[in-house]
Amino acid sequence: MWVLVMIEGLTFAAYFVVYTYFYRQSPDLFLASQAHLDLTLGVVNTIILLTSSWSIARCVERSRAGDYKAALRNVLLTMAGGFLFAGIKLYEWSVEIGRGFTFTTNTFFSFYYFLTGIHLLHIIVGSIALFVVIHQLSSPARRAQEIIETGATYWHMVDFLWVIIFALLYVMR
Amino acid sequence: MGISAQARLALGWLLLTGITLFAWWMGSSHGPGPLRPDPAVAAGAIAITVVKVRVIIMEFMDARHAPRRLRYLTDSFLALFVIAMLATYRFA
Repeated sequence: MWVLVMIEGLTFAAYFVVYTYFYRQSPDLFLASQAHLDLTLGVVNTIILLTSSWSIARCVERSRAGDYKAALRNVLLTMAGGFLFAGIKLYEWSVEIGRGFTFTTNTFFSFYYFLTGIHLLHIIVGSIALFVVIHQLSSPARRAQEIIETGATYWHMVDFLWVIIFALLYVMR
Repeated sequence: MGISAQARLALGWLLLTGITLFAWWMGSSHGPGPLRPDPAVAAGAIAITVVKVRVIIMEFMDARHAPRRLRYLTDSFLALFVIAMLATYRFA
């Protein structure tokens, strides 16, 4: 899983450098577009994802300790965080589209929809990984610690990728 | 006596949330009129982001208990990322 994390990290790092390059070519356009984003929603979504990352870390810790009931509770909390994040992201997109800001509006919004869209795709894949973790934890016949920790590692990657996307799209100027 | 694993995770979350709230303040504190490029805010955003990613990797992903090679690899990656981002911001 760490190999996948490094490959994904390198791929996204390339996206972030390219974004910064384009931002430096047209800073006024990018900043005028950035001003239309809802920074508060970005912060709320960041805290939701950080909290979900915390709960999946607790899930791993409880699972290592043999407390599978608490581990299951924590992975369900993680899953709820993922769904909440996705719901807020879709709401945010609907607001932006309602204001007339779509993928083709300008370079900033192309990056905005591309980066947040590809991240949302990772949330979906991460949710499937969480389902596998739930499946593992829900029966004493399974509970393979390696599978549980692999799912958790993927979810943490989804979390840190968002942390970088948030800083670039919502904060950097 | 060291703190428990649960308490350490909670401290990690508190730190990450605190840094996020600081980034919120940084992103929303600007003068009247349109947003202008601000190298200090850009460098600050990149720096605090890398700190957050490192906390996630070390504490939540438990890399601090992983083989030293993995820690070197992730730290080298983060260092290269900061250099690439700051160089692109400065020279592009």
